[in-house]
Amino acid sequence: MFVLPPPPRYPSQNAYNNAVASGQAVPMVETNNILSYPTGPEYQLVVGEGTYLLKEDLHLATPPPHPSEAPIINPNPLATTPQPATAGTKISLLNLSSRPTVPQQIYKTETNRSGTGFHSSIQEHPSEGRPSGDFVPPSSDGGDTSLTGSARAPVSIGSAPAFGEGNAMLVATGKDAGKRRKPKNNIAKSNSSFISRCIVHENLTRRLQERPADGYFAFANINRAFQWIDMSSPQKQEHLTKILFTKGHCLCHDINQVTKSQTHIDLIMGFSTGEIIWYDPISQKYTRLNKNGIINATPVSEIRWIPGSENLFLAAHMDGSLVVYDKEKEDAAFSPEEAVTNGNSDTSNGNTEHSAKLHVDKSVHSKNQKFNPVSCWKLSNQRINAFAFSPDNRHIAVVSEDGTLRIIDYLKEQLLDIFSSYYGGFISVCWSPDGKYVLTGGQDDLVSIWSVAESTIVARCQGHQSWVTAVCFDPWRCDDRNYRFGSVGEDCRLLLWDFSVGMLHRPKALSARQRGSVSSRFANPLQRAETQNTTSSRLRSNSSLSAEGEEEHTIEHPVEPRATTAMLPPVMSKMIDPHPLCWLEFTEDSIITSCKSGHIRTWGRPRDGANESEGASLSA
Amino acid sequence: MLYILIVISYCNSVFQALYYSVPFRENVVKYPPHSPYDTPNGQPSIVTPIRAPIQNGAAIPAGKAKGISAAEAMKRRAAVNAGQPVPAAPGQRPEDKPDSPEYKKKHAMLAGPILELTYENAASYGMEESTFTALKDIFMALIANSSRIGVLSPQRFLEIFKRDNEMFRTSMHQDAHEFYGLVLNAIISNVEANAQRLKELDSMAPPRNDESLAPSMNSAVKSAATTMDLHSGTRSPGTGWVHDIFEGVLTSETKCLTCETASQRDETFLDLSIDLEEHSSVTSCLRKFSAEEMLCERNKFHCDNCGGLQEAEKRMKIKRLPKILALHLKRFKYTEDMTRLQKLFHRVVYPYHLRMFNTTGDAEDPDRLYELYAVVVHIGGNAYHGHYVSVIKTQDRGWLLFDDEMVEPVDKHYVRNFFGDKPGMACAYVLFYQETTVEAMRKEQEAEGLAEVTLASQEAEFSLGRSPTNGISRQATSPVTPIEENLEYASLNHAITAPLPSPSTATSTIPFTPIVPAATQVPILDAAKPKSKHDKERERRELKEAEKARKHSEKEKAKAEEQKRKEVMLSRRETHKTQEEETKRAMALSKQSAAEEEEKRKARDSTSNGAVKENGHHEKTFSIPTLNRSHKGSKSMSRKSFGFLGGRNGESKGSSVGDDTSTATEGESMLQTPEKHSKKERFSFSLGRKKSANILGL
Repeated sequence: MFVLPPPPRYPSQNAYNNAVASGQAVPMVETNNILSYPTGPEYQLVVGEGTYLLKEDLHLATPPPHPSEAPIINPNPLATTPQPATAGTKISLLNLSSRPTVPQQIYKTETNRSGTGFHSSIQEHPSEGRPSGDFVPPSSDGGDTSLTGSARAPVSIGSAPAFGEGNAMLVATGKDAGKRRKPKNNIAKSNSSFISRCIVHENLTRRLQERPADGYFAFANINRAFQWIDMSSPQKQEHLTKILFTKGHCLCHDINQVTKSQTHIDLIMGFSTGEIIWYDPISQKYTRLNKNGIINATPVSEIRWIPGSENLFLAAHMDGSLVVYDKEKEDAAFSPEEAVTNGNSDTSNGNTEHSAKLHVDKSVHSKNQKFNPVSCWKLSNQRINAFAFSPDNRHIAVVSEDGTLRIIDYLKEQLLDIFSSYYGGFISVCWSPDGKYVLTGGQDDLVSIWSVAESTIVARCQGHQSWVTAVCFDPWRCDDRNYRFGSVGEDCRLLLWDFSVGMLHRPKALSARQRGSVSSRFANPLQRAETQNTTSSRLRSNSSLSAEGEEEHTIEHPVEPRATTAMLPPVMSKMIDPHPLCWLEFTEDSIITSCKSGHIRTWGRPRDGANESEGASLSA
Repeated sequence: MLYILIVISYCNSVFQALYYSVPFRENVVKYPPHSPYDTPNGQPSIVTPIRAPIQNGAAIPAGKAKGISAAEAMKRRAAVNAGQPVPAAPGQRPEDKPDSPEYKKKHAMLAGPILELTYENAASYGMEESTFTALKDIFMALIANSSRIGVLSPQRFLEIFKRDNEMFRTSMHQDAHEFYGLVLNAIISNVEANAQRLKELDSMAPPRNDESLAPSMNSAVKSAATTMDLHSGTRSPGTGWVHDIFEGVLTSETKCLTCETASQRDETFLDLSIDLEEHSSVTSCLRKFSAEEMLCERNKFHCDNCGGLQEAEKRMKIKRLPKILALHLKRFKYTEDMTRLQKLFHRVVYPYHLRMFNTTGDAEDPDRLYELYAVVVHIGGNAYHGHYVSVIKTQDRGWLLFDDEMVEPVDKHYVRNFFGDKPGMACAYVLFYQETTVEAMRKEQEAEGLAEVTLASQEAEFSLGRSPTNGISRQATSPVTPIEENLEYASLNHAITAPLPSPSTATSTIPFTPIVPAATQVPILDAAKPKSKHDKERERRELKEAEKARKHSEKEKAKAEEQKRKEVMLSRRETHKTQEEETKRAMALSKQSAAEEEEKRKARDSTSNGAVKENGHHEKTFSIPTLNRSHKGSKSMSRKSFGFLGGRNGESKGSSVGDDTSTATEGESMLQTPEKHSKKERFSFSLGRKKSANILGL
């Protein structure tokens, strides 16, 4: 039998109200995080390069339900009551040091699409209002994210122009620059009905001063709580700040890497109510966006800052739309703009051609940019489960409940590819550090590797025993031919995979148990990509033909049969938690996982491994 | 008589799954292709006695007329008609509570029409009376009946089924999966036997009276047919459909480890029984099913090549995929000491779509796509007691929950409530997947989307606390179809509920509001037009009208879709408004009821059981709205145990100790920890079992 732990008992509602009225401490049961250091063979991951050891297990306390709602335990299994959207514990990691968080050597290889100029803005339609002169020539350093962050407007990064570049309406006037950089309302003194309360650690300032500069902060959601934890502190179980929301659950969150500093952190959170909160944990200020779902009333399943942008972020709503918000703009009731009104012929073409595939409800080039949303794209009517920005900051990979992976050029607001899962919905997605491959995990228990340049599936990775909830590359163990990635799933397992382009195994159906490299099909992806790119860009140079140009490059890709797709086995598979896992990330010296019930586990990399060079390990 | 009570829930859940399989239903209706008798188009008319629904919302004085013999049912019904309408004071019995399952079920019986299949039309099909003909009777009756809603009592089917299957004659709690297997086997062998008989009797005169065949001979023919078609694989002409739909072929490959010789053996299957593991998926369990297995020690393999028992490797793969794939999740497992079955509450996730990994290399279409269309759910703590419901995707109105006489529309996500990890001991037990195509899937997903959007925003609203009441929120978000409306849809099977809202109680809630999906597929069942005058006429026109209706509905669908899209924004806002209004109203109601409840709670300990029960339901309906369908599982359990007492009336209920305790503890458990609650629930089950044992002992 699996039953919930007994809910804590509460004093009566009256006692609570009286206490609030008289300003006393609210009589509420508070639960604490627990830090433990389990050891033993079951807490070791043995891989080729050595053994990963469990450093610590931080169990975040699940907050008790808000006093305004009685703890409803519904014993009726057939109750048809709609359940609120909820999510397992996800973590946003933050390192305030200026040192880049991802190894740089990876970006020496040129990324395919940005490098060849296929999507450079030089072929843009002039009516988009983008001065053609501002095209930045492709640089070899395609993924550099270490920006100074001094400019107000979104800035071009590397080879990619900034999102919405050329739309004068998006450039804020210089006057109030620096003035409104922080959110408005104090979260600790908030009387909002949305925020229940905010518990700040009594020694917050001292703890912030004393901590090592390169230590990680972790921001984690659990149930209706949101915690700020210092992962470099020996007392990491004591949260720096804990926010309790009334009913909405924080489902996703992200930190702006451009604006982060010792004195300022821009954090955004998406909620099960569809609302979004922009929050600065250092000044304890916040602003509510999409208040009461005025722009979109469906839960936010994923939220991310647009790379390189100080103000803009992208939120995936569960009705299948992607909405770009500006953290400083006011909300306004939103109805889809007619494509004609913004005079963007590219968009209207897209509407007629692929209306079901990417419907631009509001373009970033729209002149009407006084209020949020900045832009809004409707992908389908199916729930979006996750999306990820490519390292070259041009594309997003979006996965949905209907089992599709969409590659979208978000700068041009154009859909490039639709791939289908083997079956079932996709749950997670990520890009390889060099931007060549996309990984997806889904309800077919598979991790799939897709080649973006070739628009094809590369391999299916079989090894999970249930749905794959998170996938992530390990950039410290990737080079230009070999890739290491990990995946976690509902089966409570962490799997590690090694994938190298030349070493894919043939499917068993074709050659039973024969090891060897696959045909030349995958041998030279760059070459094929290049020829394809040149032909299509020739076609695309005539902008009125842009829609037809897509014929060259089919958008919808059918499911590859099992018999012709390479299968990849894992190099390590281990049950690492008694609960289904939901999040995974690699840091320089550890693997961090989290599960649905709030266990954050840190697995230290092998001590005498090959890349111990930088050595600076976090405190154990 | 009483066993029907027990039979009904597993029977119903399996039946619905079969009925809503389009290829199966169509083939059953079509078979036999032409009858030897004088029905011109091979569609004999089914005359089903239909009782008119009672329009004034009168209550049955004593229990429900479920599971009683036809004659007795008639008597009871007459009594009901004559009986005094119960004053609509708030809640004397659970079934008087609007929005409680009991209420809905009762009203289903009252609202009717109730189809009584107490005799057979086997002769008109030109077949012997058998499980198949009884099943066909039911299907035909359902399709022929122009009313969308009603209750059908499958008396004759069960009588025949029990005649042929000794095991099901007892009053024990039966296994839905076993029932499914037996029904399918019986159907296949019936069809085979019929084909055989027709062939044999081709030259002879057709028998005048099928019933004259002795039952013993009947079963002999059947078992012969069973062995023939299941094991030798030969088929009679014209019966391919039964095989095609359900039958797959498994290949077991055995490789002798001594001489390396591999041998293969094919066998047919109607479903796959798969072992479960904690935190796994159906995909993974299927893969385990085909994993290599070592035959060693006591279980060695007799190798023809080496001559003798040898160690061997064995694995099962699927050679031919069936159209309908039934996956039986082995939730019931013997305990270590092999004395009794325990239920496994492993969390096993199942996707909406599926492909099979474990096919052989030479299988045709190894990447066949399946979609989930029915889930049979077992509720209960062990194998000996429990309740079955099914959640089924219908062609024209989305997912429906079938719970005895009650049918409720549910959303797509509801299907995922039965992975096994939610409290309440409800787990998916049999999963039905049917073959589909990527195109069909995409099309459906697009159509689904709109409903999805509403749902997602509803979820958001729920978290915002805007729609606290279950019934109300559903009422507001799903388009309401008047119950009396005769759509171009034949009645659903045995268990359609439309409680007639009695004027006094139904002011705030309409318990059953069937969803008309924004746009789904073409309704297949649109043959039965509302204005059909005579059965025979309709039968003849069926095809034509079906065609017409399809075209019509397609047009309408397109129109509706367009309109919907335009109105999405508008309607969403309107929905908010209505919901807020409803919420206010509900809050007022709940306040009012809270006061009453307080009094009743005080009186609980001293008062009789009836009051307690009423109190509990009162709470469910108003003050804790999300509980409004609570206690279902244990409720029906206890009801079942009363079945053995031989009475369905209030007196027996009142005097029964088991019910008393279980309800009382349930009431309290809302204030208690869930752990305690579940213990209590189990306790009530065991009480029920004891009782039934006693009765059986008598």
